[in-house]
Amino acid sequence: MRSKFLTFLSSGSAAVMLLAACGGGAAPSAAPASSAAPKPASAAASGGASAAASKPAGSAAASASAKPAASGAASGAASAALAPGATVTIGVELPMSGGEAANGVPTSNGVKLAVDQANAKSGNKYKYQATILDDAVNGKHDPAQGAKNIQQFSADKSVMGVVGPFNSNVAQAEIPLTNEAGLVQISPANTNPDLTKTDKAKDLRKAHPSDIAYFRVCTTDDFQGPAGADYAFKTLNKKAAFIVDDNETYGKGIADEFEKRFSADGGKALGHEHLSSGQQDFKSLLTKAKATNPDLIYFGGVTTTGGGLLRKQMTDVGMQQITYMGGDGIVEDEFLKEAGAAGNGAWGTVAAPIAEKLPEAADFIKAYNAKFTDPKDKIGAYSASGFDAANIIIQAVENAGADRAKVRAYVAGVKDFKGALGTYGFDQFGDTTAKIISMWNVDGGKWVAKDQFAFK
Amino acid sequence: MSALELLAQQIINGLSLGAIYALIALGYTMVYGTIELINFAHGDVFMVGSFVALLIVGSLGVAGTVAGPAVAIVMLAVLLGAMLATGLLGVVIERAAYRPLRRAPRLAPLITAIGVSFILQNIVQLRAGPSPVSFPDVMPNPIIDAGNVIISAKQLMIIFVSIVMMAGLQWFVLNTRLGRAMRATAQDRQAAALMGIDINLTIALTFFIGSALAGAGGFVFGIYYNSVWFINGYIAGLKAFTAAVLGGIGNIVGAMLGGVLIGLLESLSAQYVSERYVDAIVFGILILVLVFRPSGLLGQQLPESA
Repeated sequence: MRSKFLTFLSSGSAAVMLLAACGGGAAPSAAPASSAAPKPASAAASGGASAAASKPAGSAAASASAKPAASGAASGAASAALAPGATVTIGVELPMSGGEAANGVPTSNGVKLAVDQANAKSGNKYKYQATILDDAVNGKHDPAQGAKNIQQFSADKSVMGVVGPFNSNVAQAEIPLTNEAGLVQISPANTNPDLTKTDKAKDLRKAHPSDIAYFRVCTTDDFQGPAGADYAFKTLNKKAAFIVDDNETYGKGIADEFEKRFSADGGKALGHEHLSSGQQDFKSLLTKAKATNPDLIYFGGVTTTGGGLLRKQMTDVGMQQITYMGGDGIVEDEFLKEAGAAGNGAWGTVAAPIAEKLPEAADFIKAYNAKFTDPKDKIGAYSASGFDAANIIIQAVENAGADRAKVRAYVAGVKDFKGALGTYGFDQFGDTTAKIISMWNVDGGKWVAKDQFAFK
Repeated sequence: MSALELLAQQIINGLSLGAIYALIALGYTMVYGTIELINFAHGDVFMVGSFVALLIVGSLGVAGTVAGPAVAIVMLAVLLGAMLATGLLGVVIERAAYRPLRRAPRLAPLITAIGVSFILQNIVQLRAGPSPVSFPDVMPNPIIDAGNVIISAKQLMIIFVSIVMMAGLQWFVLNTRLGRAMRATAQDRQAAALMGIDINLTIALTFFIGSALAGAGGFVFGIYYNSVWFINGYIAGLKAFTAAVLGGIGNIVGAMLGGVLIGLLESLSAQYVSERYVDAIVFGILILVLVFRPSGLLGQQLPESA
């Protein structure tokens, strides 16, 4: 029996390993942004129309004004400039169909508003139009489609800048192309730090490493951890935190940053534990945490890797009165479902401002609501970001002339742009200097924007 | 919270977790004891049980906590429904996937079991979606607070359900004709057949009971965690399998003991070592048991069967 059993189990353990290998793949990746919006009738303007509409007016003037830019970043095709009075196209590259239209449409409306205002303003040297391309394929954002859209914009000489994309993985596919073309690209919504300031970011801009063409008006995820720590320590008056993360890139990253900052602020990190994937029972972990008497549990991760159940099980071990905080990975409806009633009172950070609460955004919101009255155009979390991104490009074209290289150099040098999101510029990586983090709180079973502050 | 209170609390946490593992482990051990197959689809049968429980809760129109004595009726209905459904599922799996391979080389049914596991996961994923699904908080959960040590009503319920199931199973196997037929089939299939025992029926019965117990596990899981997910069967199944091997695969009391020990091991290593090493410790124990005591804690060295 013994020998037979061992042979048998050796095949059994092989099967265990096989299962283990497949188990990871079977788990769906967590997608924090969940939204189901009605599909718009058509995905806005198509690119073909703009190519026809853009007058080749620049061709004559080009030779006169196309002095090579100081940076020399512009590659051949892109160096043509448009004469004053010509129509400048602002490319918009967002998910415009399927469920993600709820993200793309209100953001693109911000661009349309900026273009309308620029055309109405007397004294502007150029006319403007927005051309919108959809990067969603079968209702889901698609990096390959995004790259195709950028190539289309890149080939269109009237395009002086692109607003978009919405999703970080689409940006990953697009940044090398806009960098190569020296075409300014401003994202209203990407928050992944790897797009601008890490070694991975350097790989994305190999063509012109020193001439950054990709910028963003929202801040990055890596400020969520420290900003959460500041808020917990200074505003919520929490002094002793127990930290838990899901041992994944995002979760461990923000939890480590939280811990560093919280300790630096003067708080006490009582412990830092990591969950293993697939784990469902956190009562033992929470019992251990409870014995250290924390006044805050900080979770780095997303709802599906434990963020919801951890909060839920805090009530089972008598910790419901202890404050719970996490990053934007738990600021989603899924968390409310998983945590149930226990979710109330939880805090989450989001690396984007709440436009409605910014004093600078008041005029923008008024103008937006006057122009867009259809329910599907309702102002979104990134409408103001799209508006600002377009205005930065317009300002650059007006001041530097409709020449891609000059526009790029101008945008890279923006230091105190006054927009709907406040006054800010871009740092050496192309990231906004306004690191506005908003604080969300579960109140009455819903995530409610409670506060925001500029992280320093 | 003193060190002793902390230990007591962790033992309570471990017992309630271990009770679920024990329920699942019974299915592994019964099937192995009878046809020497490690039924890797068993963890997924448990998972299906949790979704069936969710379906029944939904069809009863229960959306929140049930107050008063009605809760006992609702829970009993859901429990029995989930057990019946998974029991039948187990029989169907055995008939369709394992019986045709009963004389095939050993690896064939093992791989088939893995295939069945993926089929079940994918069906549930298609039907219920790729995200965790929330399970209504059917049962009120008052907390019994003995000083600093807390026991919740749900933890007591889990332990109670498990004890009833295990005692019932033990009684059935030892005291009924069918139970005796199961034991006879486990000892020597051919001799049992010669004695007039319907082997196919007995094996189907074994699958029915083992899968129904996994269904009961799925039910308590849903009630306890209020969240069910199509991949839940995978880790829970592996842990329960470890429990069955630890206790001595093929041995019913051993599976119960193994389940409770694995639960305790998890909660104590989360407390005294680190949460992130819990799985490594549990599966490390599996390796040690296989190397030094392959027949498990309570397993006997059975004579080689033909």
